[in-house]
Amino acid sequence: MIGSLGNLFLRTAVVLTGTALATFALLWHAPGDPALAIADARYASIPPAEVVDLIRAEAGLDAGFWPAFQAWVGPLIGGDFGQSSVTGRDVWPELVTAMSYTGPLALAGLSVGLLISVPLALLATQHPGGWLDRCAVALASIGAAIPAYWLGLLLILLFAVQLGWLPAMGARTPAHIILPALTLGLGVAASLTRILRSGILEARDQHFLPAFQRRGVANRDIERDHVVPHAAIPVVTVFGLELAFLLEGVVMVEVIFARPGLGSFLVNAIEARDFPKVQAVVVLTAVLFVTVNLLIDLIYHALDPRIGERDA
Amino acid sequence: MRSVGALIVIMLLLALIGPMLAPHDPTQINIPHRLSPPSPEWLLGTDALGRDILSRLLHGARWSLGLAFLISVIGLCIGTVAGLVAAQGGKLADWFVMRVTDTFLAFPDLVAAVVIAGVLGAGTGSLIFALTVTGWMRYARVARGIGLSLQNRGYVVQAKLAGLSPLVIARWHYLPSLLPSLAVVWTGMFARAILGISALGFLGFGVQPPMPEWGTMLLDARIHMRSTPLQMIWPGLAVVICVLAINLTGDALRDALAEQKDRKGTA
Repeated sequence: MIGSLGNLFLRTAVVLTGTALATFALLWHAPGDPALAIADARYASIPPAEVVDLIRAEAGLDAGFWPAFQAWVGPLIGGDFGQSSVTGRDVWPELVTAMSYTGPLALAGLSVGLLISVPLALLATQHPGGWLDRCAVALASIGAAIPAYWLGLLLILLFAVQLGWLPAMGARTPAHIILPALTLGLGVAASLTRILRSGILEARDQHFLPAFQRRGVANRDIERDHVVPHAAIPVVTVFGLELAFLLEGVVMVEVIFARPGLGSFLVNAIEARDFPKVQAVVVLTAVLFVTVNLLIDLIYHALDPRIGERDA
Repeated sequence: MRSVGALIVIMLLLALIGPMLAPHDPTQINIPHRLSPPSPEWLLGTDALGRDILSRLLHGARWSLGLAFLISVIGLCIGTVAGLVAAQGGKLADWFVMRVTDTFLAFPDLVAAVVIAGVLGAGTGSLIFALTVTGWMRYARVARGIGLSLQNRGYVVQAKLAGLSPLVIARWHYLPSLLPSLAVVWTGMFARAILGISALGFLGFGVQPPMPEWGTMLLDARIHMRSTPLQMIWPGLAVVICVLAINLTGDALRDALAEQKDRKGTA
């Protein structure tokens, strides 16, 4: 147990280092002279060569790959995300502002997804193979095939343009979150419904359930005490997948609805070639993602000790 | 497996023959007829530059389906090789390959693809690179898992003792057992590639205009949502239909495989 947990933490550390290295290498080898790009972003013109040299020295670009990497990672471990290469301002406060928009959106999307998928999966599995079940599976399949950006545009078209019921662009009022949350949530619902449905069916299939039935335990009690907890285990696993889905969805949804947040922060930073900001979002996402997956593994270890032994 | 074969043929035919069926030149600008509603001349109407939407959709199949096919097959090759190296190459190789796989999986693929394609600069080359780099890990995991489970089978042990090279063993002993499972993963990745290409196109990091790619078409159509909402429907619908067809084929294949396994288990 202790050994496999240590292994888990070691793997997490390796993965995070790998992500930082891969990101830095990508940006280092990006086409174009980064010093020129910074100069262009700051002064909107091509400055004299001395200025470019100055920028290069200031940003540590003349030091070579490894010194530059160290110069970035060192402060990063202490929580310093550096400064924007365009504005020169600290990245962290802007990142916090972006997260304060993305957090509620992701939560709202997840809630919509759960509110739709849990009742739907429970209803569908009442009669496996029945018309309700088949409808749920069909809806989930179609939902999984609809790209978030198209769904978002359709919702804008219907509720904002045609009906005029809901605001679409920006984040001024609380009502502005409804359409983006719905876009995210419907996608989450599609994938969760499938997973929950097969989880419940598998849990129903367990050999000790007939024993309870024969002992006269009410079906409703068996469902609550034995089927639902078993179906919840795969849900814990897919939480990592759902997080990936949410993060991907957030990027698209924020761009479509012109909402501030991590996704639009990232896309704007890429377009402005503001690499410290891009690095910051990538590292933050990786840390978040890896931490959640580590937590899931830990929960799993707690739920089922066999898992640690199987997956050496 | 037969259904996957049929799927490949249909998708490739769409990508190859689709452009030939197009009634107009997809890049022919025709300002006097811009934003026309559907009519016998322009069956699905025209876009903001007067280009025929149906022709653009049909030509777009070459980009969206053809590129997705290419990307998913490159990923399949890289991932299978990585997985087999991990399974056959001993502890150190296994540890190294699996940590690299973990690292690439430690990030939502589409976000990684957006960063890579965006940083490398918009264009078809960086699009292919971005989606391939973020799309090989699942194959590697599956190939490694099955490879490890085959390791101690009699015929594999015997082949090793007979001194056959790892390449020969991989080709004749591992690959046949791997193919069905890899085909299931492939259908999923093919669908993801279509979604990825159109998502990057929609963000402006993918296939560049004037090439007709479904995501890029959606980006163009979005601006004219108020005046010609129909224009926005078609490219999205094309993506949904293709992805749905691929996913359903993959589901059917997976169910068939599971059933096969069950029968073997009880026999």
